[in-house]
Order: sequence, then structure tokens, then C-alpha cells
Amino acid sequence: MIRLSVTARIALLSIALALVTNFALVLFVRQQLHQNAIASLRRDATEQADALVEVYRTGSLEGLKRAIDDASSPQDPTLVLGVFDDRGQRIFGAAPLSLTPWPQTEVTFRIGRIGAGAPWSKVQAGYALRPIGPYWLLDGRLLTDWEAEQRGIERALLLALILSLGLGSAAGLVVTRYVVRRLERLAATVAGVAAGDLSRRAPSTAGGDAFDRLATQLNAMLDKLERLMAELRIVTDSLAHDLRSPLARLRSRTESALLVADPAQRDAALSGLLVETDLVMRMLSMLIEISRSEAVSRDRFTTIDPSALIDEVGELYEPVAEEAGTVLRVEIEGHPAPLALHRELMTQAITNLLDNALRHAAGSGEVVLRLGEGQGELRFQVEDRGPGIAAADREQALRRFGRLDSARSAPGAGLGLSLIQAVAQLHGGRFELDDNAPGLIARIVVPR
Amino acid sequence: MTRKILIVEDDAATAGYLAKGLIEAGYSTETARDGRDGLFLASEGIFDLIIADRMLPGIDGLAMIGAVRAAGIRTPALILSALATVDDRVDGLKAGADDYLCKPFSFAELSARIEALLRREDRVAAEKQVTRLTVGDLEVDLLARTVTRGGRAIPLGAREFNLLEYLARHAGQVVTRTMMLEKIWNYHFDPGSNVVDVHIGRLRRKLEEGFSGPILHTVRGAGYRLSPEA
Repeated sequence: MIRLSVTARIALLSIALALVTNFALVLFVRQQLHQNAIASLRRDATEQADALVEVYRTGSLEGLKRAIDDASSPQDPTLVLGVFDDRGQRIFGAAPLSLTPWPQTEVTFRIGRIGAGAPWSKVQAGYALRPIGPYWLLDGRLLTDWEAEQRGIERALLLALILSLGLGSAAGLVVTRYVVRRLERLAATVAGVAAGDLSRRAPSTAGGDAFDRLATQLNAMLDKLERLMAELRIVTDSLAHDLRSPLARLRSRTESALLVADPAQRDAALSGLLVETDLVMRMLSMLIEISRSEAVSRDRFTTIDPSALIDEVGELYEPVAEEAGTVLRVEIEGHPAPLALHRELMTQAITNLLDNALRHAAGSGEVVLRLGEGQGELRFQVEDRGPGIAAADREQALRRFGRLDSARSAPGAGLGLSLIQAVAQLHGGRFELDDNAPGLIARIVVPR
Repeated sequence: MTRKILIVEDDAATAGYLAKGLIEAGYSTETARDGRDGLFLASEGIFDLIIADRMLPGIDGLAMIGAVRAAGIRTPALILSALATVDDRVDGLKAGADDYLCKPFSFAELSARIEALLRREDRVAAEKQVTRLTVGDLEVDLLARTVTRGGRAIPLGAREFNLLEYLARHAGQVVTRTMMLEKIWNYHFDPGSNVVDVHIGRLRRKLEEGFSGPILHTVRGAGYRLSPEA
């Protein structure tokens, strides 16, 4: 319905435009023709009148009559040439019997009707009226040609109207079909996405017109939507997966606690339930943190010395590493200038990296917490000497947030890596995995 | 003297659970169902502590505490909320709450925090500038930042000293892991590993190895307590 009415509107607009253009052109031509015709008539009439006045002066009324008879001929029906007495009655010549209205004064040039009876009353005439002795000389032409031209122009205008309607409708149809076709391509993309195919994209050429810009922006929006949906799915998957094991333990522990008769042992079993419950709660709060981090605004960021942040985390985890039987070494390269970070989320992400490294590589050498800088980027990285992740698997590890095998799916690990990813994105940066030869480098890269 | 606690909570089950637990712990309680009643009661200034839910009908918890503060009432306030992200907690503390605890919470955590808040009020009221803390035979010199036990000096790192100072200021009370993370490291999230336990373990070895008896006790399911008696 709406599309039809847009079509109609565009067509109407084209018609109106064509009409206005054609009318203006025809009117201009008419005006020009009219002015030219009048000018030449005026010139002819005055010149001839002057010449005839001269004839009268040198000859007489007889000479003038001869000259007038010579000049007028049946082949020239538009000529007006005659002599009148001072009451406006024709004496001789090709002119009305009486000149009405009778001006009784010299007329240099005028356009108007000159008398009653055919053909004088039908058509206007352009004429000059000169006094000659006691008589008056009338000289001019009937505007028969001009009237004919006028009708020609009227026909031209009618033609222009028809042409405008045709051309306008055609142009309107063409423009509308073009616009509608391009819009339909965008609409088809949106419809496809709405139907569930998130990989659909609007076709866009490099032209850069308004439709291309719309397509580009639509595609950018769909990219973000697709990424968010993918993340949501992964987070939901890993949540469901990660929640299963603590819930299963919770259930079996509850069952066994029910069966314990000894009060002391039952207390111990019940406090074990609390530990499992806390684990589930921790995972839930991390999940909330992840989902919120997409919408955290920059005003949550504070300007922080990154070396201090790394030192604090290092100090917090140094005894943890020792407990796990390894050494945590903090390396700060250069003197990175302070920058805006979300202190708590960034710290939490780094502690997740450290937890992962300690969980998977504590037995195989030291763990390094390194702060590096370069190429306009700041790198928070944790290096271990553990089994690492094969280069071929890294892409998948990042995409699936570290769910490579059952070893990597220790409670919360999947969520921990999603949180790291989310925090890196929150800072406009990225999370990447690298080879420590041997071992794994996990790195949060943040632009300065 | 019985401490009076104002509970502002619209969920009847939670309010009942809180009141029951607090009465068992020796407090007397009063419950308001919404922010307006809560504000009205809190304005009397007769309570030792306010526990307020954040999302309340009428005036929300943060606005209520803001209004109480604006009225010049310094009663310590603890926010209980299901809004659990780091930013939510920081917002709550900025709005004038003295502590922020996320739902679901363990009662041990809540009662440790309540005790810490009440004790802090007492200290502020009663004490001048403290320069020395004594717990049994343990002495903590806050100016020189030195620690002795039974007259013998115990060398501590800066963070270990802060940890001990916090425990000593709350001597005899239960201090939870999250309280230590918040107050000593200023982190409002829960790191995955048992980081606090590891730090406490290290501190405990220094305080107890070669000395007569235990002084830093583990309270199961809650946290730790620094106290000469078990």
C-alpha cells in the first residue's frame, strides 16, 4: 500500500515537473513570436503610411488613390489601407466602411478592432492613422496570421500537456522502480535476518550513494548483532555446561548428607554443600558481569597506572603461585603512561588468566605476568610453560572460549575466558593466544 | 544493651529470614516494607544499623539512604541487593551506604559485616587516634608498622601488615574473605583461586610458628578471626 502510494507520488511529481517545464517553454516561444510579429507589423505600417503621406503631398488625392489601388490586391486579404473623411467614413481603399471607434486624432500605431462587418470585426488589426489634408489615411494589417499562430500555440500547449503526462508517468515509473528495487534488496536482507538467517547481508557497491550508505550501516549493525548472538549462544552453552558439574556434585552431596546419621559428619557434609553453592553463585555473578560489560559506559573507567595494577595483581597471586608449586614473575617493560581502564574488570580478567595458567601449567616452570607496550597498544599477558595450545587449535580456542577438551573445562574456565574476551572488547581491544615455545601466552591487548 | 537494627525489605520471606537470624544473634529488629516507611523509621535516629534492599517500592534503597544522610543521620547502612556487578557495588557505596552485600548472601557473611559496622561505630565514638593494637600477646604498632608477639619481632611485608592490622582492628570478630578483598585490596569481585586463604595461611605461619598457641583462627563457612582464645 505504502509502496504504491510512493510510486504514485513520485509519478505525480515527475508529471508536474515535466508539465511546468513544457508550459514555460511554450509560453516563452509564444511571447517571443508575438513580440517579433508586432514589431515588424509596426515597422511596416508606419513606413508605408509615411510613404503614402509623401505621395499625397507630392501628387494629390488622385495620386494617393492610384497608389493605394496598386498596393492592395485580392491575394493580400489582410492588408488594411484606406482613406477616410473627418467623420470616419471610408472614401476609398480596402478598409471598413466606417472606422469605429473613430479616434479623431493621429494614431502612431495601435492594435484593436477597426470596424463593424466581416472581416473587420472578426480579427484585430495593427494600424496607423495619419491626417492628410482634410482626410485621414488608415494603414495596417489584420492579425489573421497571428490568430492562426495563437491557435497553433494552443495546440502546442495541449500537446505539451499530453507529452508531460506521458513523460512524467514514464519517468515516475522508472525512478520508482529503481528506488523500489534497491529498497526491496535491503528489505529482503532484513526479512531474511528476521526469519533467522543472521548471515544475510545487504548488497552494497562502492558507489557510496545514500542507498549504499544505508546498506553499509545495515551490514555493520547486522555484524554486531550476529557477534552478540554468537556470544550469547556460547555463553549460554558454556553456562549450561559449567553449571552441570557443580549442580551434579551439589545433588550427590545433598543425597549423601541426608544419609549421614552422625551430627558432626552431617555438619561437614552440609558445609561442603555451601562450598558448591558458592561456586554456582560465583559463576552466576561472573555471567552477569559479562553480560553487563557490553553496556558499561566509559565513565566507569578511571585513569590508572597500568604498572601499579599489574604489581597489585602480582602481589596478590605471588603466594598463590608458590602454593601451587611454581614461581610468578612480574615483568614490566618500560614505563607505560597511565590510561583509562575499568580497574576492577581488567584486574578480574587478569586474575582469570593467572588462574588458568596456574591450573594448567603450574607443574612445568614459572609463570610470567608481563606488561608490554608498543605500536600504540598495551599488552597484559600471562606466559606459562605448560602444554600450550597448538597453533591450529588457537582460533577455535578463542572462538569457543577455551573449550578444547575436558581438561580445559574445569569449573568456570569457559566463563572465565568469556569474561576476558568481554573485558578486552569493553576496552576496545582484543584477546589473543600465542606460542611461548613451549607454553602458552594469553594476551589482552588494549589500544592506547 | 541490645542493638536495634532496621530492616527495609519488601520481600516478606527475606525480611522474615533476616529478622529471625538477627534476633537469634541477639539483636532486636524492626521491619519496614517500603522505602517511605523505611525513611520515616530511620529518621527517628534510634537505630544502630539499617539493612536496606536496593530495589524497593516507592523510594529505592539508595535514594532512601541518600535522604537519611541528607537529614544528618549517620546510622551505618548496609545495602542488600540482587544487583551484583562490580559497578553496582561501587554505585551503592558512593550513594552513602557503608557496605554492600549481594543476594543471595550467606548469613555468616552478613553477620560478620554487621558486627564490623557496629564495632566501627563504637570505635569512632569511643576512641581517639589509636597507635597500638593488642591481641593477647600480639602487639601491632601502627606508627612504626612493626609487629611483636611475646616480645619477639615478626617481620611482615606491607600487605601482610595491612591484613594483620585489619584483623587486629576487628579482633574477636569474624572477618570474611570478601571483606578482606574489599577493604585491603579494594577489589569488589571474587577471584577464582582461594587467594585470601593463601595470604592468611602465610600470615598465620609467621604469627604462629615457634609460638605458644594459635591466634589466627579459621571459622568454617565464614572466614577468619584473630583472637587469643580459640
